[in-house]
Amino acid sequence: MLYTTILAYLDPGTGSMLVQLLVGGVAAAGVALKLYWHRFLRLLRIRKDDVPPSERPTRAEAGDGPG
Amino acid sequence: MAPAEGVSEPNLLSAEPGSYRDPDSRVIVTQEGVYRALSQSGLEDWQVLHGSELFADEVARGRLIATEATELAVPDDLLTGGAAGVLAHERIPFVSYPYEWTFGMLREAGLLQLDLLDRALGEQMILKDSTPYNVQWRGATPVFVDIGSFERHRESEPWIGYRQFCTLFLFPLMFQAYRDVPFHPWLRGSLEGISPVEAAAVLSLRDRFRRGVPMHVALHARMERRHGSDSGREVKENLRQAGFKVEIVRANVRKMRKLVERLQWKLPDTAWTGYGADPGYADEDRKAKERFVAAAAERRTPALTWDLGTNDGNYARIAARSSDYVIAMDADHATVEQLYRALRGEGAPADKVLPLVIDLCDPSPDRGWRNLERPALAKRGKPQLTLCLALIHHLSITRNVPVREVVAWLATLTSGLVIEFPTREDPMVKRLLAAKRDEGHADYDLAHFERCLEERFEVQNRLELPSGTRVLFEATARG
Repeated sequence: MLYTTILAYLDPGTGSMLVQLLVGGVAAAGVALKLYWHRFLRLLRIRKDDVPPSERPTRAEAGDGPG
Repeated sequence: MAPAEGVSEPNLLSAEPGSYRDPDSRVIVTQEGVYRALSQSGLEDWQVLHGSELFADEVARGRLIATEATELAVPDDLLTGGAAGVLAHERIPFVSYPYEWTFGMLREAGLLQLDLLDRALGEQMILKDSTPYNVQWRGATPVFVDIGSFERHRESEPWIGYRQFCTLFLFPLMFQAYRDVPFHPWLRGSLEGISPVEAAAVLSLRDRFRRGVPMHVALHARMERRHGSDSGREVKENLRQAGFKVEIVRANVRKMRKLVERLQWKLPDTAWTGYGADPGYADEDRKAKERFVAAAAERRTPALTWDLGTNDGNYARIAARSSDYVIAMDADHATVEQLYRALRGEGAPADKVLPLVIDLCDPSPDRGWRNLERPALAKRGKPQLTLCLALIHHLSITRNVPVREVVAWLATLTSGLVIEFPTREDPMVKRLLAAKRDEGHADYDLAHFERCLEERFEVQNRLELPSGTRVLFEATARG
């Protein structure tokens, strides 16, 4: 998977990535709507998860702090 | 990699302990220079940066550290996969850390970081982190030193360093600007800075209505609590699928710049901010002192001078005429901020003066991984000349450090010393003693001080100032 190769050395923090959508003005608003729409569909089980649960990192791996 | 012909192998060829975080780049400091070993990926990022307009322009403006590719043999185990290339950097005269800077300095360093990030995004690059440790100072001018932070930007990547910018720049600045809470103990307490959750807990309800707080603090803390355990990889992938693009990062960076630029710290009136202009210091005393300091600096032409308790920086500027570089230190944040603001507008020799907030009774310790990452103050370069003017009575009487210990510490620090001893008859000393029980501090005595000084220093010059209550000494440490 492409994205496994470009994980940065600094953990951006998942919450912090989402804040950027809410701060990022008009361009971000469209993306935010799309993102939450996807999540909504997943919630209704109309759309499948993008990453199978077995491939998801654990909480410890995900971390939330820089460096 | 073999060194090129004629290139000597430097001594002490090992990685700088503070540069371990980025797996694509390690810094090596030797007597000859400052180098950076790069991984293959790091080398490719450097080649893109080197070919960019940004690089040529920002180096010419002095905002980015001068850097060139070089040949240098480095140990194989320096980087996983070995070093694919080595860069040589211009050397910064003295390394300092954000918990030693003033509000204005931290703000200026943040703005520099954001400016470079905005420009980088315009040339398909990004800064991979946002730490103030990427910025150093030439006098009162910031320079971005972490060339390894520039990397090629992937179109759908968010601003990876956003959280770090908040924890190490924005929240500390907000604490000072909105609450008048000094950020130094926070940054000295944690190399990772103030987390969104901590910031939200400290800022009051009233602060929730201040610029930047609702989004960057309150919402940020909420999102972190709610999504902290989500998979970062999944969120990134979701963002990519939803069409996250570079314009959003640029919009964020520009908004952040406006926010940081508007943060102001209203300077409090402290006991020290007007001290330099105190009419209590007779004009004749001042002139004699200036001549004494100028002569000592001229004789010694030090590479590095420390001015302890610098106040308005008058003597730091005088010493700078004959020094390569001067560190002007004071424990009072507001005083150093005033000095920083003044220095910014001045040319030579003030451009060689670096103002720092340092409390000598609680100076910057060794910090970080193995206590080697951010070394204590004196380990970053000892001075050849130290000015200790109108200070010893504050250390000895107010802070209770015995006179003998002050002198002993100075002897471990420096070779040359200019020190002023205000006698017990001095009005300021009388004021300080009056606050103490039974006028104690028997060791605070001119004769005792001179004995302590002569034990450890050879005294070259002694001058009683015209007021009759202050004596200046120029001395050189023995052995």
